[in-house]
Amino acid sequence: MIAETGFFLLLFSFAAAVYSALASLVGARRAHGEKLIVSGRNAAYLTTALVTASLGMLLAGLLRQDYQIAYVWSVTNPDMNAFYRLTALWGSQAGSLLFWSFLMSLFAAISIAFAWRRFHALVPYAITVMMVTVAFFVGLSVFLENPFERWWLAGGTGDVMRSVLMPAGAFAPDSLNLQGSAQGLNPMLRHWAMAIHPPLLYLGFVGFIIPFAYAVGALASGNLSTDWIKATRRFTLVAWMFLSLGLLLGGRWAYDVLGWGGYWGWDPVENAAFLPWLAGTALLHSTTIQEKRGMLKTWNLSLVVLTFSAVIFGTFATRSGLVESVHSFARSEIGFPMFVFWFGLTLVAVLLIIWRRGRGELRAEHEFQGLLSRESLFVLNNVVFVALFIAVFWGSFGAPILSELVMNTNITLGADYFMRVTPPLFAALYILMGVAPLSGWGVTSLRRLGRAALIPLVLTLASLGLFALAGMSTALSYVAYFVVLLAGWVAIVETARGIAARRRAHKENVVTSAWQLFGRNPRRYGGYMIHLGMTVIGIGVIGSTLFQVETQRTLQPGQTLELGGYTMRYDGLLANQVAEDGRLMDIAQVAVLRDGRELANLRPRRDFYPQSEGTNSMTIAGSHSTLENDFYVLLVNWEPINANQATFKVYINPLINWIWTGGLILIAGTFLAAYPKDVVSERARQSVALAKPGQLARKGA
Amino acid sequence: MARLLKLVLIAALCLTATLALAQDTPAEVTADQVNAVAEKLYCPVCENIPLDTCGTAACADWRNEIKLQLEAGMTPDEVITDFVRRFGDRVVGIPQDPALNALTMVTVVAVIGAALLGGVYFLLRNRRPRQPEPAIPAPAEGAAPASNAYYDLLRQDVEG
Repeated sequence: MIAETGFFLLLFSFAAAVYSALASLVGARRAHGEKLIVSGRNAAYLTTALVTASLGMLLAGLLRQDYQIAYVWSVTNPDMNAFYRLTALWGSQAGSLLFWSFLMSLFAAISIAFAWRRFHALVPYAITVMMVTVAFFVGLSVFLENPFERWWLAGGTGDVMRSVLMPAGAFAPDSLNLQGSAQGLNPMLRHWAMAIHPPLLYLGFVGFIIPFAYAVGALASGNLSTDWIKATRRFTLVAWMFLSLGLLLGGRWAYDVLGWGGYWGWDPVENAAFLPWLAGTALLHSTTIQEKRGMLKTWNLSLVVLTFSAVIFGTFATRSGLVESVHSFARSEIGFPMFVFWFGLTLVAVLLIIWRRGRGELRAEHEFQGLLSRESLFVLNNVVFVALFIAVFWGSFGAPILSELVMNTNITLGADYFMRVTPPLFAALYILMGVAPLSGWGVTSLRRLGRAALIPLVLTLASLGLFALAGMSTALSYVAYFVVLLAGWVAIVETARGIAARRRAHKENVVTSAWQLFGRNPRRYGGYMIHLGMTVIGIGVIGSTLFQVETQRTLQPGQTLELGGYTMRYDGLLANQVAEDGRLMDIAQVAVLRDGRELANLRPRRDFYPQSEGTNSMTIAGSHSTLENDFYVLLVNWEPINANQATFKVYINPLINWIWTGGLILIAGTFLAAYPKDVVSERARQSVALAKPGQLARKGA
Repeated sequence: MARLLKLVLIAALCLTATLALAQDTPAEVTADQVNAVAEKLYCPVCENIPLDTCGTAACADWRNEIKLQLEAGMTPDEVITDFVRRFGDRVVGIPQDPALNALTMVTVVAVIGAALLGGVYFLLRNRRPRQPEPAIPAPAEGAAPASNAYYDLLRQDVEG
C-alpha cells in the first residue's frame, strides 16, 4: 500500500507541476491573467505538498523495512540501523532523484512565498521555469527511475518482475526470502559525512534554480532592473553555502573512507560539483556590481545561466554514466532525457539573453573608471573564476570526450593536469581577494591602494617570518602562503578598522562595537568572514599538498617505523572481528609516539561486507589529529596480513585540519552575510544610543 | 711462490665472480619507490583511480610489475612509458602522445589566455576617459574620510 500511495502522489505531483507551469505562463502573457497566475502559484504549492508526501511514503518504506519495494530491498538490509536506513533515501539513483525533486519543490515554494508581493512581475515566469524543472525530475522518477516499484513473481513461470501495480497473474514474493537476500547500503556510504554530504550538495545544487528562474523571469517579463537579484540574493548565498559545505564534507568523507590519504582527487564527479561552485561564486561577486553601479547586466545573466546549466550538466554527467568514478551512479536510461533537458534549458535562456541584448535593454548605466576600481577588480575576479571553470570543465569532460570522439582514444586527465593548470589561477583569485576589499567603487589610485594595503602587508610578512622560524624552506610555499595570508589579513584588518573606529565614536567595548558594525552591514562583514574562512582553507590546502610525507612498510608486532618526527609501533592484530551490522573487521593496533611519549593508540582496519554486491570491502584509516597535522595510518588492503605481519601506509598531512576549521568560519560568514540587514539594524538602533554627529569623521573608517 | 700465485689467482677469480653475481642481484626496491611511480599512473581497469591506491588484484599485480621493472634497472620514466605503450594514454594524468598532449594542454592554456585577455580588453574598452583624480585620502589611521562612495558607506556602518 505504501508503494502504490507513494507512486500516485508522485504522479499527481507531476500533473500539478505541469499545470502550474502552464497556468503561470499563460497567465503572465494575458492582460487579465491574474486568476491563472494565482492558480499556478497554488498548483506549485500543491506540487511541493504532494512530492513531500510521496517522499514520506518512501521513507516509511525504508524505516519499516518493506522489502517488497525493490528500492528498499536494494539499499537496506535487516542489519542496518535506523540512521542508515534513513540515509539510504539518497543511497541510490531512484531515491536520490525523488529527494532532489523534493528539495527543488521546497525551494520553489519558499521563494514564491517570499517574492509573491514584492516581485510580482517576475514570479509567474519564475514559477514556470521552476515547475518545468520539477516536472522534469518528477517525470524521471515516474517514468524511468521509479522508487516505488515492487517485486513480483510471474504465476506459472516464477519469473521475477518489477512494477508498481501487480501484473496480471503475478503474486508477491515471500517477505522472509526478500529480507534474507536484501543487499544493504553501499559500504562506502556508511559514514557520518555521507549522511550530510549528499543532502547539502543537493541543497546547493537545487538552490541555484532560484536565481536562474528569476533571471529568466526578468528576461521574459522585460523587468531587467535589479529586482531579480534582490529577490534571489539570499537564496543564492544559501545555495552557495550548502554547496561549499557539501564539497567540504565530501572531502572529509573521501579522507575518512576512500583510504588514499587525501581529500580531493580531481575526480570528474567531484569536479562536476565544483563547477557550479566556481560559477556561483563569480555570480555572487558580480551581481554586487549591478546592484551598486548598474553594470554587467548581460554578464550576470550569463553567469546565472552558466551556474544552473553546470548544475544540470553535472547531474547528467553523474547519473548518466557519462563518467565513471567512485561517486557516480550506475548507468541508467535517464542520460538522454537529461541531456536534452540540459541543452534545451540552456538554449532557451541564452536565446532570451541574446534577444534582450539585441534590443539594447541590457546596457550598462556606468563605465569603468580605472583598472584599480573595485568594479574592475571584481570583473577580473570573475574572469579568473571563469578561467578556472574552463580549466576544470576541460580536464574533466571536454578533453576526455573530445579525444574519444575525434581521436578514438581514452584519456584521463588527473591530478597532474589540474595541479599544473589551476594553481596560478587560484593564486590570482587570492590576490584579488586581498586587493579588491581595499579598493573603492569608482576611481582608486595605486598609491591609495598601496597605503591601505600597508598594514596587511606587514602582518603577512611577519606571518611568513614565523613560518620561516618553523622551518619552512621552499620558495613555492612562501609565494603560496603570501597570497593566501594577504587575503586573510586584509579581511581581519578591514574588520578591525571598522570596529576600532566605531569604538572611538561610540565609546563601546569591542564586542558591542563588532556586533553593531556587523549589524549595520552584515553583507560586507560576512563577506570578510568568508574571505577569512577561505584563507584558513587555503592554509590547510597548501600545507597538506606541499608538505605531505608518506611511507609504506611491512611490520611485525613490536616493530616500529619513523616518519616526520613520529614513531609508529605495531602492537598486534585483531582478526575477523564481527561488528553489529554483520561486517567482518581486521583491526590493527598501533601506537603513535613522539619524542618517546605515547600520543595515541590507533586502530586502522579493513572492513568486509559479506552481503554486499560490488564494492564490499573498505579501508578505514586511523588518525591522530592536531592543528599541526594528521598522523594518518592505513592498513594496506592488497598486502597479506596475519598475526605475524601487516603492511601499513602512513601519511603525515600537515595543517589538514585547517581545511575543516576554515569551513566552519565560512559557514558563520555566510550566515552573517545572508542575515537580513533590516532586522539587525533595527536591533542595533534599539540597543545603542546614537553617537554625536561628526565623531566618526575625526576618527576615520 | 707458485702456490702463492695460485692462491692469489683463486682469490681474484672468487672476487670477480662475487662482483659479477652482485651485479646480477637486483637492487632492493622499496614500497615507497614503487608507490612513487604508481601514483603517477592510473589503474588501466578502473576509472580515475591512481594505481598506488587502487585495491583491485589487477592493480596489485601491476604494482608488483613496477617493482620488478625498477629492480631490473628501469628508470621511473621508462616504467611509465612502458605502461603507456601497453595500455594507452589513459594510464597517465597528462597524455604523452604529442597530438593528445597538444589537445589537452595547448587548448586549455589558449582558451584561458583568451579569457583573461578578453577580460582586460573589456575593461579597457568600457573605461571612461581618464579624469583628474579627486583628492581623497587613504583610510589611514586618524585621517578623515572624504566624499567617496565607499567611505560614505563605511561611515554609515560605523556611525550606526
